[in-house]
This record gives sequence, C-alpha cells and structure tokens, in this order.
Amino acid sequence: MLDLFIEGLSIAFTLENFIFMFFGCVLGIVFAAIPALTFSTALILLIPLTFGLTPIAAISVLLGVFAGGMTGGSISSILLGIPGTPSAAATVIDGYLLAKKGQAGKALGMAIYSSVFGGIFSLLVLILVAPQIAKVAIKFGPVELFALVVFGFSTIISLSETSIVKGILAGLFGLLLCTIGLDPVMGLQRYTFGFANLMTGVGLMPVMIGMFALPEIIDNFLQASKNRHKPPVKQKQQVKANFPSLKEMKEAFILNLQASAIGTFVGAIPGTGGPIACFMALDVAKRKNPKVGTGHIDGVIAPESANNGVTGGALIPLLTLGIPGDSATAIMLGALMIHGLVPGPLLFRDNGALVYAIFISILIINFMVLAIQFIGMKLFVKVLDIPKVNLMSMILVMAVVGSFAINLNYADIVVMFFAGLLGYFMKKFGFPIVPLILGLVLGYSIEDNFRKSLVFSDGSLGIFVTSPVSLVFLILAVLMLLAPTIRSWLNKNKAKKAI
Amino acid sequence: MKMKHFLAVILSALLILVSIVGCKTGGTDQTPKFPTKPIDMTILFGAGGGADVVGRKLADLASKELGQPIVANNRVGGGGSVGYQYVLNNDPDGYNIVWNSTSISVTYHQGNMPANQGYDAFRGVANITQEATSLAVRKDAPWNTIEEFLAHAKANPGQVTVANSGVGSFNQLIAAAIEQAAGVKFKHIPMDAKQSTTSLLGGQVDAIVNMAFDVIQQVQADTMKALVVVAPERLEQLKDVPTMKEKGYDLDLMMYRGIAVHKDTPDDVVKILENAFTKAANDPSFKEFAEQYGAIVDVRGAKEFDALMADNDKKVADIMEKIGIKKQ
Repeated sequence: MLDLFIEGLSIAFTLENFIFMFFGCVLGIVFAAIPALTFSTALILLIPLTFGLTPIAAISVLLGVFAGGMTGGSISSILLGIPGTPSAAATVIDGYLLAKKGQAGKALGMAIYSSVFGGIFSLLVLILVAPQIAKVAIKFGPVELFALVVFGFSTIISLSETSIVKGILAGLFGLLLCTIGLDPVMGLQRYTFGFANLMTGVGLMPVMIGMFALPEIIDNFLQASKNRHKPPVKQKQQVKANFPSLKEMKEAFILNLQASAIGTFVGAIPGTGGPIACFMALDVAKRKNPKVGTGHIDGVIAPESANNGVTGGALIPLLTLGIPGDSATAIMLGALMIHGLVPGPLLFRDNGALVYAIFISILIINFMVLAIQFIGMKLFVKVLDIPKVNLMSMILVMAVVGSFAINLNYADIVVMFFAGLLGYFMKKFGFPIVPLILGLVLGYSIEDNFRKSLVFSDGSLGIFVTSPVSLVFLILAVLMLLAPTIRSWLNKNKAKKAI
Repeated sequence: MKMKHFLAVILSALLILVSIVGCKTGGTDQTPKFPTKPIDMTILFGAGGGADVVGRKLADLASKELGQPIVANNRVGGGGSVGYQYVLNNDPDGYNIVWNSTSISVTYHQGNMPANQGYDAFRGVANITQEATSLAVRKDAPWNTIEEFLAHAKANPGQVTVANSGVGSFNQLIAAAIEQAAGVKFKHIPMDAKQSTTSLLGGQVDAIVNMAFDVIQQVQADTMKALVVVAPERLEQLKDVPTMKEKGYDLDLMMYRGIAVHKDTPDDVVKILENAFTKAANDPSFKEFAEQYGAIVDVRGAKEFDALMADNDKKVADIMEKIGIKKQ
C-alpha cells in the first residue's frame, strides 16, 4: 500500500503532469465562465490531445477541466446572472442578487471556497469508501432513479421565488418541452412536425442560454436607449475579491459538509449529474435558512459545494466499475482506454500506483483551482466595469455562437431565441425561470425511468411502492410539495388556539 | 428592363467563359483537384465514446494521406438521423463524409428517415470495422451455458429480463434475433450500453445483450460471464465463449462501421477517399488502437462496402419485420 502510494507520488509529481493539470484547470474555468461555452466542449476539444500524452497527464488534463469547469460556472452566474454551465443554474438566484447588492466579490470568494471544499470532500470519500458507495449506487435501478428524480423535482417549491403556482407552471412547461423529440423508450417521433432537427429534442443549453441571457440583454438595451441622453452613471460595485474569513468559513461549515455529501452521493449514481445535485443542495439550504432565494450567501455555498462534490462522486462508478456517471466521465473513460487502461476492479489490482497518482493529482488540481480562481477573480470582476451595452452585445454574439456550437445544429439557435423571448415575457409577468430549467433538466430522466420501470412491472404502478428506496423518496417528495400547505394550516391552528 | 437583359447576357457569358477556363486548367493540371479544403466528417453519437474516438483516430490518419484536415463533428440525435440527413443535405462533392454504421438501416426502417433516404442514399467509401455482440449474465448466475439459459427462458416465457439498448438499437435487434432463433420469449428492458452493465451488476435484470467490448471488460474483471457471442467466429478475448452459429443458430450479424458519402458523389472523388481511408485503416497503429475499443478491423473497398451495406440492410429489415417494428 505504502509503496504503491510512493510510486503514485512519483507518477503524479512530474513537470509534464503539472503543466497539463494547470492547463486543464485554466481551460475548464475559462470555458465554464463564458456563458454559452461549456466545459464539456473543452473536454471534447481535448480528446485528440490525450492520444499523445502519458496516461496520468491525459487523465489530469481532463480532471483539471472537470474540476475547473464545475467551479468556473459560478463566475458568470454571479456576475452576469447567466449560468456558465447547467450545474451553475442553481447558483444564479442568490449569486446574482448578491452581485446586485454590490457583494459580487464576497459571493465569488465564497463560491470558490465552497467549490474546493466540495472537491476535496468528495476526493476523501472516493479514496476511503469508493467500493462501498459504488455497491449502493448500482442498486439504483430505473425505479429508484425515478423516485430520486421526482424528489429532485419537488425542490421546485424552494425555487419558485414569489409564487408557488407560477413556479409549478413554469416547471411543468419545462417537462412539456422534454416531450419534443424521439421518445426514450420506443424511439417514436413526438412533436417534431417532420423536422429532423427537432428529433434531438429541445436542448438544455440553448434554452438555458436564451432564457437567462436574452432577457438581460433586452432589459439592458431598453434601459440604454431610455438613458441615451443622460451622462453615463458610474456603477459603484465593490470590485474587490474577498476570500471568506475564518469566521465565515466556520459558519458555512455544516452547510458545506451537507451539500458536498449530497453532491458526492448524487454524482456517484450513474444517470444523475451536476444539476440535480445542485438543486437538491439549494433546497437543503433554503429549508435551513428561509432567506435563501433573496440574495443570501447560503444560496451560493450549497450549490457550489454540491457541484464540485459531483466531481469526486462521478469518479466512483467510473474507477470501481468502469461505468461513467455523466458525459464528462464518459470522455475520461475513453481517455483511459486509449492507453489500454480499463477502469473497473482490475484497475486497482493491476494499476494501483496509477490510481493513487490520480487521487494525488485531484488533490493538487483542487488547490490549483483555488489559486487560479483567487488570482483570476480580481480580473473577472472587472467585467462589471465594462459598459453594460457593450458587454451585452458581446454576450449576444456568444449566445448565438454557443448555441450552435453545442451540436452544430442551426435549429438550436432558433430555439435559443424563442426561449429568450419566452424568458423575457416570463420575467415580465413574474414567472420564475429556474423551475423551467429544472423541469428541462429532469424531464427526460423522469420519463425515461418511469417507462423503464413500467416495462419491468408489466405496467403496474405498484413497483414504485414495493421498492423501499423508491417509497422513501416518493414520500419525501410529497411532503416537500405539501409543506407550504401544511405549514399554513398549522399556523392557522396555532392562531386559533391562541384565541 | 433592357438594361437588365443586357446585364444578364453579359453575366451568363462571363460565367460560361469562367467555367471553360476552369475546365481547361483542370484538364492540364496533373495534380488531383480533390481535396482542396478541409473535409467535414459527421460522427453520429456523442464525443468520448469508443466509436467516436476510433473515428477521430481514423480521421487523423486519413487526413495525412489526403493532405487536408478532416474535421470530426458530432451531430447527435434521432438514432443517427440528424447526422445522416445533414450529410445528404449537403452537396455531393465528397467534402461531407459520415462515419456510418448499421444504424442507417435501423433508423430508416424504424421510420426516422425520409422515405427515399435508406442505406442506398449513400455510397460506400470503405468499410473499416465490425463489432460483435454478446449475451452475458452475472458471475453468480445459475446458468453456465447458453443452452441452460435458453432452457430456463423457454420454461418461463416472458419472465427472463434481458437488458439491451432499447428499441431501434443494434443490441435490441440481436436480442430479438436470439429470441426468434431459439423460440423463446424474453422481457426486453430498454437501457443504454452502460446502464445495461449497471443494471446487471446491480441485480435488476437476469441478462444483457451488449456490444462484446462492454462485456469483455466485465468478464475480465470477473463480474460477469459471457454465454454466447454473435459473430461468424469466436472472439480472441472470449476464446471459451461459443458463437450462436456453433450452436446451430443461423445468426452472425455484426455491426459494421465505415465511411460513406452522398450517393451522387463522383467516382474519382470516391476513389481518392477510398485510397486514403483504406490506407489509414490498414495502418498497424490504427489496428492496435481500434482493438482496444473492441472493434475488429475489417477493411473493405467501396464496392465491397456497398455490398455489405445491402446485405446487412436485408438482415436488419428481416429481423425488424419479424418483431414488428419495421415501418418502411
């Protein structure tokens, strides 16, 4: 064991490995920070590069992008109100409100700290109990996954901002959008009207980019045309990046821990992923502190810890079973196999030193991300000094290019614009956008797992009740959905008693 | 009005002149005129998977032969339909090629391609690889041979759960074909390739039909046992596992992958592409690379590939007809 560890150290501590880790982190942060470019794109671009690298450098550069990407998404969420990656969608609500209050620096600092906390927490879990977690994770079949995702959907109550009814409507509309395209079980076309481009379905990224970016752009342009004749007002944003103080870290500790654990566990279940984990973590934060949702730092801490928790979590099924939990780990699986390394139980037996080298590299990567972000933060906040109109024009260009770049599909640009217009009117009439994104993120999983479960049970719904895991999650989901009603009923009773 | 006519005449004259001049230079110049710009290669599935990575490696090697870069682009969706239609909607000039597979037949017969866009809307450049499938069970399962497994399935019709990659996937076709051949009835559970593995290891299903490569990994890790492979011959990595053919069933359909272009692409362009891709695929480094991803390198020229596509299409259509999912 110790000699494997020392051998792992010697593999990890090479100049080549350090250069590629650094390169990966920077690339991940930059791609995630720019709305409309995602770190998945960066991973794809790197595939050919990994052909020629040593196994550890190949996996390090990808891990760097993964960890950097999960962190970097918060930058644009906080500064611009546009999530850089789907996993940062939950950070937008409180992060952007904090920035509007002039606390962008504080939010960014806390986001970085929480991210690294989540990353290191999940690494520890990966090192210590990966095989045990993997055993639990593979017990999640379609039935359990369905219940878990429904539970995830019930967090909609926390995300609905002002009106629960409007939140639920937006969420259901998101679910409806998911029905466009080929159905997941039979491969039949639904609502495609004969357009091949719609067979892929409505993509999450174009909708997300459109919904968050376009309303901001329209608002700013309208504002600018109104204020055309007035002298420009200097915005007084505190563009100083603060790393959280020891006291703040202490206050955040429990929440960091909880959110990281959620991220790690959800990440370990194949077929889930970052966004679900973040929304669940945000929900926990909201229930602990009702101020979350109005621009409270806890609303940044929870999702950011969770999405980096996913990084270590997703590696659990990859390394122990050879099963990638999401698209990022699927690319890593490919990179390992190029070098003849087959992830799974054999990897630990035959390439133990390499596994240790990967663990050590992840630790280094987390500290690199911390350092790069902390230095970079001072630059990032400068974005707020750019005149809004200029900034928004650039974002508009990025939104178009980015929507197209995801699948090289022109239809995605059209979807982006439609989503943007819809988003603008939703905002105008007080419909929250985040629940719609939640619906879109979860809709496919809900339907897919629901229908697979019914194939198992020959159409009987009883299967969701007979699986204990599923039953627990479904009961929790119902409780969450009814919580506001129960609470107001209880309050009424209390009031009556008082009389 | 007159002015417009005049302009039109001048313009057409100019166009004709330019084309004539163009032909002349083309005729006298000895070096081939294709390719003069980068080639766009459509990959029908997401980045990072085995077939994607093998396709990219192939593109890399072939571009060295052609002297122009080949840019691999993932156009995912509709069971391949999005990518196939993209290539067909572009000019048949050889600058848009597709890393195609048996999926063209499945997608077409399933009704997700327009009526006239089956496998024969394309013409083959070269076949590159073939991939076998395998039926596997958990390591601690009570069945040790395919006979035992099929006997159990026969005794419990519709009770034995078999995960495959869902309606319209190659794995599902093979699962259905095994069912047909053996006269049994499985309960098909639609999963994707990785989910199948998870669900078998997690104990949710009794067996899986998956690409041999995904099975080999788990057999080597000693978590699964493979009972049968579907291929003309036994696989090197699964030497002890019999083929369906050995067991007396007429089933050896493998999944091909190759390079195809729009059917109206000129012969000389196809010839140039064919030379480049067969050379690239015969490169020893490619063979070694592809084998790591479970693909058997099986290089065939344009003519033979056309024949292979036609033959596979018939077999696929036949299976789909029998299980009642053939729409066209």
